[in-house]
Formats: sequence, C-alpha cells, structure tokens
Amino acid sequence: MTLAEVLGHEPSTSYGVVVAEVDRAGWAAVVTDVRDLGYAFFDVLTAVDLEAEGFEVVLRLWDPAARKGVVLRTRCPREDARVPTLTEVFAGAGWHERAAAELFGITFDGHATAHLLLSEGFDGHPLRKDFVLASRVAKRWPGAKEPGESDADLAAELTADRTGRGSRRRAVPPGVPTGWGPPR
Amino acid sequence: MTGGSAYQRGLAALRAGAPAELPPRSRGIIALLEENCTVCMLCARECPDWCIEIDSHKQTLPARTERGRPRVLHVLDRFAIDFGLCMWCGICIEVCPFDALFWSPSFEHATTAATDLVHERADLRTWLVGVPVPPALDR
Ligand code: SF4
Ligand code: SF4
Repeated sequence: MTLAEVLGHEPSTSYGVVVAEVDRAGWAAVVTDVRDLGYAFFDVLTAVDLEAEGFEVVLRLWDPAARKGVVLRTRCPREDARVPTLTEVFAGAGWHERAAAELFGITFDGHATAHLLLSEGFDGHPLRKDFVLASRVAKRWPGAKEPGESDADLAAELTADRTGRGSRRRAVPPGVPTGWGPPR
Repeated sequence: MTGGSAYQRGLAALRAGAPAELPPRSRGIIALLEENCTVCMLCARECPDWCIEIDSHKQTLPARTERGRPRVLHVLDRFAIDFGLCMWCGICIEVCPFDALFWSPSFEHATTAATDLVHERADLRTWLVGVPVPPALDR
C-alpha cells in the first residue's frame, strides 16, 4: 500500500512537508492505516483555530526507517467541535489531546480528557482566537504612545480625560476588543 | 559529520578559550542605530511581548524659507528593550521601515538581576559593533 492508496487521494507537498486532509469520520481509521505503513512514531498533535471555518486538528507522524514525516489534518465545525480520539492508535496521543481539549475546547470522542495545564475551574479556552487575554487589558501597552509622546504626556492625557477634557482616540493593542480596559 | 561531533568540537574550542564560532545570521542581541530611528513607534506596537519602551518629544524647526512652514520633528528620549521579556522573534527588526534595528551576534549578556536585562539606548548602540554587513542587493 502507498500513502495515496490509504488516503484515497494524492497527498500534497507544502514547503517539503507531505500534507493530507482526512475526513473527520475516518480520522482514527486512516491514522491507523498510515501508522501501519511505517509512520509508527507519533510526533505531535495540536489544533488551529480557523475561526469561521472551525478547528483543524493537526497530527505529525514520522517513519523512523525511511526517515520521513507526514502531516495529517482534519476539520470540525465550531459548533460541533469534536474529533475521534487517537488514543487507541497511539497511547501517547492522550497527552496531546488533553492539551488540545483544554486550550481549544475540542472534544475527543472516546477520550475523557482530564484537565492538564490550566488551573482547576479555569473558564475558557486560551488558544481560541476569540479568547481575550486579561493581562493584555490590564497591563500598560508601550505602543499606546504616539510618535513625539512620553509617559508623562500619556499620564497628563488620562488626567484630562477624567476631567472630561481629553478626547483623543488611542491606538489599542491587538487582541483587546473595544469596550475592554480601564474606563476612559 | 554528525551534529554531535560538531557540538563536541565547539565545546572543546570554547573550553580552550577560543571565541565562539557562530553561524551566519545568529540572533545574539538587538542593536539600535538611533540616527536612523524616526520614532515611528511601529516596533513598539508590533512587538508581541511588549518589551520595547520608547519616549519621545516634539520639536519644532522654524521655517527655512520665507514662505515655508515650521516643521515638527520627533526626538527620541528613551529607547529600551527588556531582554527579560524578549523572545528573539525579530519582528521589531523586520518591521522597522528605517533600518534602525539590527541583529547582533553578540550573545554574552547573562546577568544576575532581571532589571539588568533592560538595555537602554546607550547599550543598544554598543551592540552595533559586530553587526554583519548586509548581503549585497539582488540585481
Ligand atoms: S525580537 Fe520580538 S520579542 Fe524581542 S523586542 Fe523584537 S519584537 Fe519584541
Ligand atoms: S520601527 Fe524603527 S524607526 Fe520606528 S520607532 Fe522602531 S526603531 Fe525607530
């Protein structure tokens, strides 16, 4: 069997990396077949938040004999963020699935992903693009200054704001939605 | 030759007191050529770790001709990079439109106090020594 036969299509090559998209329903079965081709070393499993296009789970396997790797990817929609678990194929995938479950909020069907990295009761999934990093809101952003301004100018403007005289719109750091941050 | 033996040789050379042999484009530390800096704030805004602090003030130059207008300049007062926060991504260097920031191969900057990792403009200028000549332009 070749990789193309197992996948049912020819994988593509991107920057020298062999990449193939796999249907979510056949995820575990296809990964099993690819493993049995010789890609027996589980390298990494992680995810990407594609926003409106859902989530992509990314897996890299390595063939130790042939010294070549393959990247397999599968998609799930945002509102149904579930992907079959690979723990039956590679026991070590469990660790990575636990991280992806916590950080992206993806359910791995067949694997009760116990919490791994975040504190107990942590609210939200920090690697989702819509997750607001509170420290970015609370911390002073060095980029808020305009050319020709110092910290003293900024402080003076804040005072002016409180007395209702300031009005300038400030550049906000990326990742901080409007309406967040200290009252102005 | 394996990576291991190159590493062993490098280590032996260092132990013998030879200067480290660095590959091209080594990212040691960031140098600032402040004559080129226009205080545009781009690097401070793009830095994902918020480790660049810039202060500046405005200075007005009188009109040079009778019908000319006075010009406003931005003058740099403080430029500091906190290398305790920096992750060596190089975005600031890439984004600078005026070629004011450079990678210097100089890497021996360990300190015993985190506050000493904040390098002010005088330090950042010092690191210009050793910045390699840029490659020739494509023709
Ligand atoms: S290298 Fe990256 S983290 Fe460091 S100062 Fe530049 S932009 Fe910031
Ligand atoms: S991007 Fe370059 S010119 Fe602009 S403030 Fe930074 S160092 Fe100066």
